[in-house]
Amino acid sequence: MIIRLKFILGILSLLTVSVSTAQIDSCNFSVSGKILDVETKKPIPFVSVFIRGTEEGTIASENGEFLIDGLCSKTNTLIISCYGYCDSICEHSHQHGKVPHIYLTQNVVNLDKIIIKAEVNKKEGTESISQITIEKSELKSNPVQSLASAISDQPGVSLISVGSNIELPVIHGLYGNRVLVLNNGLKHGFQNWGQDHAPEIDISAANRITIVKGAAGVRYGPEALGGAVIVDPNPLYLSEPFFAEIGSGYQTNGRGYNSAFEVGKGGEKWSYFFNGNYNRIGDRQSPNYNLTNTGKEEISGGFGTRYRGKKWDFKGYYSLVDQDLAILRGSFAHSGDAIVRAFNGEQPDSAYILPFSYEIMEPSQKTQHHLAKGELKWFYSDHGNITYRVGRQINHRKAFDVRRNSNLPIVDLTLSTVDHQIEWKHPDWYKLNGTLGLQYFYQDNDNIPGTQTTPFIPNYNTSRYSAFVVESKRIGEDILEAGTRIDFEANNVRGREANQDIFRDEYSFTNLTSTVGYVKNFAKINTFRTNLGTAWRTPNMAELFSFGQHGFRTSYGLLRYYYTDQQKLKTDKVSSITDTDVQPEKGFKFTNELKINKTYSTHTVTIYSNYIQNFIYLRPFAVVGSFRGPQPVFIYDQADAFFAGGDYSWKVDLSKNTKGTLGLSYLWSRNISQNDALINQPPISINYKFVWRQNNFWKFKKSSFIVKPLYRLKQIQAPRTVTPEQLISGEEVILSDAAIFDFKSAPDGYFRLDMSWQFEFKKLQGSITINNLFNTRYRDYLNEMRYFADAPGRNLIFNLNYKFKTKTKTKTKTKTKTKTKTK
Amino acid sequence: MKPMNKFKKYSMVPMLAAAVLLTGCEKEEEEVPEEEHDHEVITNVHLIFTNVDDPSDVVEVEAEDHDGEGVEELEILDTINLDASKTYDLTFEILNAHDDHDDHDDDCDDCDDEDNHDDEDDHDDEDDHDDEDDHDDEADDIGAEIADEADEHQLFFGFTNNIFTNPEGDGNIDDASHDVVYNDLDSKGNPLGLNTSWTTSGAYEGGKFRVILMHQPGIKNESSSSKDGDADFDLEFVININSLPIVAIGTSAGLE
Repeated sequence: MIIRLKFILGILSLLTVSVSTAQIDSCNFSVSGKILDVETKKPIPFVSVFIRGTEEGTIASENGEFLIDGLCSKTNTLIISCYGYCDSICEHSHQHGKVPHIYLTQNVVNLDKIIIKAEVNKKEGTESISQITIEKSELKSNPVQSLASAISDQPGVSLISVGSNIELPVIHGLYGNRVLVLNNGLKHGFQNWGQDHAPEIDISAANRITIVKGAAGVRYGPEALGGAVIVDPNPLYLSEPFFAEIGSGYQTNGRGYNSAFEVGKGGEKWSYFFNGNYNRIGDRQSPNYNLTNTGKEEISGGFGTRYRGKKWDFKGYYSLVDQDLAILRGSFAHSGDAIVRAFNGEQPDSAYILPFSYEIMEPSQKTQHHLAKGELKWFYSDHGNITYRVGRQINHRKAFDVRRNSNLPIVDLTLSTVDHQIEWKHPDWYKLNGTLGLQYFYQDNDNIPGTQTTPFIPNYNTSRYSAFVVESKRIGEDILEAGTRIDFEANNVRGREANQDIFRDEYSFTNLTSTVGYVKNFAKINTFRTNLGTAWRTPNMAELFSFGQHGFRTSYGLLRYYYTDQQKLKTDKVSSITDTDVQPEKGFKFTNELKINKTYSTHTVTIYSNYIQNFIYLRPFAVVGSFRGPQPVFIYDQADAFFAGGDYSWKVDLSKNTKGTLGLSYLWSRNISQNDALINQPPISINYKFVWRQNNFWKFKKSSFIVKPLYRLKQIQAPRTVTPEQLISGEEVILSDAAIFDFKSAPDGYFRLDMSWQFEFKKLQGSITINNLFNTRYRDYLNEMRYFADAPGRNLIFNLNYKFKTKTKTKTKTKTKTKTKTK
Repeated sequence: MKPMNKFKKYSMVPMLAAAVLLTGCEKEEEEVPEEEHDHEVITNVHLIFTNVDDPSDVVEVEAEDHDGEGVEELEILDTINLDASKTYDLTFEILNAHDDHDDHDDDCDDCDDEDNHDDEDDHDDEDDHDDEDDHDDEADDIGAEIADEADEHQLFFGFTNNIFTNPEGDGNIDDASHDVVYNDLDSKGNPLGLNTSWTTSGAYEGGKFRVILMHQPGIKNESSSSKDGDADFDLEFVININSLPIVAIGTSAGLE
């Protein structure tokens, strides 16, 4: 059954007909095709297919077939919306007289049959949550950037950092272990406590990054209070000709150089790839001075293999990331006087500004992360499948401080993570489409002896057993989605106090998370999605067991302090969690996204609110005399917090070859139990991206010129400022119920301009990018180094990739330009 | 039947391989982190003034932060009482004395008992004193570590103007070029300060004596001052210079 929708034919003058060979007086071009699922090769029924720039469109049949005629242009862009699948856009060139089937993600193999293969949206249970997807092609211009940096210019997303080498993604004001990072389908098992630990993920090996901007706890488990960042590896497509790609790059700020390679091939039943990447950067430079000790060295690599049987499919992956990261030397201070000097200076102490070097000295971090994963999918019937996933991760982390015996690490940990997951994607039951899953998660954290300091984080084992169900139901053109999940988590902790006494604890939590959402498609190409979801997380080891000075802050974890009957705070014993009222955090997030596709523009508005109970934060308690002089002291505490905000994105096709995207992000947040500000919340940010695509520009087959201005406002919701001087001199007295404060006022707003030119020349692909074109001096509120130094200045990044691909064995190839954009 | 067997045959291999390789040996670990000799934390600093003419004439003062990085305040336990017109050598004992709840009382005969010791009522013996509690009660000698890394440390001294005849002045905390009599040097010929000499002048009451241990990795040189680097401790004591008892000549009874 083909539903043919009759639209009024667009008036010719409205069409953007370019250097056209189109016959504008006879609108008799047509496009037809068949849409299949890339994994199962089954047709996708009822897909809506529209021609961008016209009002022409149709809904595909039950067999995925569609036909649109009366088109006036030979070259058309198709907008394909698949309920339960992602949006795709591809350009299609008509071949007269033929019925083309259009490829989306793979090369054309057959002239006769060009099949649209829409990628199944695997994010079941999150269909109703606002999401952004970034494809590999968008990551190529800077393959050595961090995960956070690769996604931070999306609306609603920012990054919090400790210098250039440690960057964590922020979604709607939440970061650290309130944003779940999934690497290759597994929760990235690393030391994700503190603001100074970033996930060890190699961007150059990522195929796609999805940012889920809502409480995604049901599908993925605890910690997704703000959202989730999902990194997908090479999908190991079958029937892919052998390819080899090598790339190399250089950046001026830090004199960094990098090189990477990837090779792979897909046969009919199997596929494999290998990749590797090395990069080294030396000290960065701010506009006026060197940022001594900000270099980095990273080696990473991996491989994957796939075998497809008749009814099953196996994928195996391994990856390794080894990093050595330096932290600005001028940011380190322990004693009151030194802290005052470090914060007061316009720039770091001149003793800590040295000539350029690649050397990585204290303070620094060394990490090594191994990930091995196997996934077996069994298509027991045409309509359902069962997936079994097993993963093992080993994370070694050493932190080095400026101390006596500085060759010894101050933190030396090994964390082993095991995942076993089974998922059953069941066939359609009464129009219900969904997945049931069981998961087992186990972590074992051990301190490696020899640091000559008391272990900062205890040894612990965590076991978590989970079960979830997510279902979605199509109601006409809309989708109703709901899900629930139960987690049972048991923890066993063994640590040492400062006097080396042993402490132990055992505790467990059971939690139920739910999600309900609705996706409404209206006027055929507009969508409204709304979702209310819950999420939770147990307090992490640092929040529970911190004791003493870490960096320039002295803090005590939730279980390291208590009040006597006389209301005096003491830190001389470790409490058992059951003796306190420490609770897991629990969040309720309500996200709404409206997407309006007009002829030449798309508006996307996201409005959200997030209420988090038992929100863990650090608050000042007193100034205490110590051997190093008076020290401000902080304690971890819990309160209820509320976040609300909006993101807006407006994409406009300014002309056939140019488009602009405006992005806006706003967040309001508050500690509502104490009626106090929250610290380190992203300020209002406005960014624009102008893209000019020009094919056959001089000698370059393809060329894109991109301009990205950014303006970030000063954070006016920042907490009050109390300088280290005021604290140490006693001018500012901190009582036990003091409001939180920041050591320095939020920096001024700033404007930054980045530009990039990406080109293709024969088999070479390259780019020249300039970040911070005007060498602007600025400090970003979310970079902890703002207390001590300016952000890096201008950076020119050069990249060149050579891709070699063997020719396919089929007769001819049509030149089909495919540009996939997924929602 | 056949497809099922094939499935079984082929799927078992990768699954088994995956299971073995990936899950590895999952021994149920209940290991406790090993005891560490924490050399970062200082709990006790003793200043020991020894009369160069009479080694049995020793004045010792102590500063203590018994819970290390805990919330209890640093305490200056003693006042320095030196005799006038004498020369003393000042040495240090810098320790991490692992505050052990049981031992604590023994050490502190002369310290304030009120606030600091209600903890012994509150604390539960079970958690802290298991059988495996194998920590040794000996204090860690941080002073030895400092001496080992002499070219990254220097002690600076500040005191009431001219309460000493040698060194004169008010010490080198405010100005690194002021006099202090260092008896020890590091490998580069720069002073360390774990052994210094002090010749008192006349009687004085209520003076101040301040000593700062600066940690200066990579930046210590002949002109580095108390403003370079990070202080490991910064202590100020009250100092009294006591005039010597007057011995009457020719009488039969001395003043005792």
